Amino acid sequence: MSNLKNSDQDEHSRVGVIEVLGMIIDPELGINIIDMGLLYFAEIDKQEKSIGIELTLSSHGCPMGAAILGGAEDILKLYFPGYRIDVKLVWEPAWSPDFISEEGRQFLE
Amino acid sequence: MNSVASQNPLLYRLVVSHYLISALCFVSLAVMLLITARNLTGHYFHPQLLAITHMAALGWGTLVIFGAVYQLLPVILDTELYSYRTAWLSLLLFSAGLVLLVYSFWHFEPGIYMQSGSLLLLAGISLFAANVFLTAKQNRDDIHQEFIITACIWLLATALLGTLLVFNFRYAFFQKDHILFLKLHAHMGLAGWFLMLITGVSSRLMPMFLVSKQQKLGFLSWSFYLINGGLLLFLIDTYFSGLNAKTYIAALVSFAGIACWLMFIAGCFRTRMRRKIDLSIWHSLVSFFLLGTAIVTLPFIVFNHLKADPLSVKYTLLYGSLLFMGWITSLILGQTFKTLPFIVWLKHYQHLAGNSDIPLPAGIFKGKLLSIQFGLYLIFILVFYAGMFYRSATLINAGLGCFLAVSLVYLSNVLIVIFHRPDKKYYEQS
Repeated sequence: MSNLKNSDQDEHSRVGVIEVLGMIIDPELGINIIDMGLLYFAEIDKQEKSIGIELTLSSHGCPMGAAILGGAEDILKLYFPGYRIDVKLVWEPAWSPDFISEEGRQFLE
Repeated sequence: MNSVASQNPLLYRLVVSHYLISALCFVSLAVMLLITARNLTGHYFHPQLLAITHMAALGWGTLVIFGAVYQLLPVILDTELYSYRTAWLSLLLFSAGLVLLVYSFWHFEPGIYMQSGSLLLLAGISLFAANVFLTAKQNRDDIHQEFIITACIWLLATALLGTLLVFNFRYAFFQKDHILFLKLHAHMGLAGWFLMLITGVSSRLMPMFLVSKQQKLGFLSWSFYLINGGLLLFLIDTYFSGLNAKTYIAALVSFAGIACWLMFIAGCFRTRMRRKIDLSIWHSLVSFFLLGTAIVTLPFIVFNHLKADPLSVKYTLLYGSLLFMGWITSLILGQTFKTLPFIVWLKHYQHLAGNSDIPLPAGIFKGKLLSIQFGLYLIFILVFYAGMFYRSATLINAGLGCFLAVSLVYLSNVLIVIFHRPDKKYYEQS
């Protein structure tokens, strides 16, 4: 589902945006937000020193919404110091369990 | 950054206080049951059983639901709770009213204590309902919200009729039999408040916990109209004609509503991606089974009542205990550990999400204690109901001993969650 572009090949080759975001765990399910399919878009602009991501939540009123979004912003700030971080919450398309990755499905089973 | 609000720090104390008082009421309920075990095979209109029923319905069931609603409503509706002061005042009035009412029922003193207790409870419930209505006022159309608001309206009606019943003890202004109004009062509370609320909240949470692919919301709409329709039919018909053959029709309509809700839940289970069912969900499944068992006894109550057979009293006690000590208790025993750890987790770890190897909410309570609680609860169900069936005081007492043990284990685990403190290393990271 994710439309990921311009992952950092040079300066941050070891720790890409997606890998970093993969450290955020959905507290109820124990799966990271990448395997949950919550990340819809990510881009990094090294010249502008900015990172923009679009995340969704599994439902309107997800009790962990603020923790997930705040966690995503905090962790990007931690791994990309000096970068402007823009975390956008989007609801289109609505999240569906079909977005869960194969690894995520295996974990749930 | 986004439109999802962080947990308001004021919410933590409010919610946790409700859970804590409710857990203490649960232990009190278990002790009261053990003391009065011999009355469980007699008539349900007994002072101590009235005290126990109100401790179960208000202290145990309603308080924990108040806490859960304060926790979930702002999240579900994506808004702030209308007033925290009102919520605290509601808790204060409610708790004081509960103590007075239960005390005066137990000793059966239908005077000033019982009357002021009922008025305080009514005031506490009115403030809670007002807070819910005002929180939900400017929000989007949402079926779960409809369930919660309708449940609050029924709760208000239940409390109002209950207060009138209390005053009727002294002033006898009702033109009809007190027991008739007691039946109306009980079913407003059970079907209107508990069932509506549980249906609305569970249909919101279950698909989330199970990661269900399919949610047949049509079943929920049917459930809403059928349960309310059946309840209204029951109240109106019973008020004018008492229990009669038409009561079967009202019961049937309500059962159809419950069946729709259970079909919704079954659909969520069938299409779930999370295959492993944890103990909290098992508790909910046991709870649904016990609700079904309670429903099965209802036609027997009506049938025996129409024949003027005293068996109807025995079935009524069975029905009531299955609902309070079965359905509602099992649901709370499980769902507490799905909801309470989250609010504690958000308080301590929200700002650390992703920064370190912080525990998950499920790691905040003791899983072993939950297993013990579940095992003891199953033993209680088997032993207690065997005792009720065979009218064996020994089995009933043994069952209630298990129930007390369940309440103590539950309280311990709730305290562990409430007094959870993060490791020092997390403070250093924050």
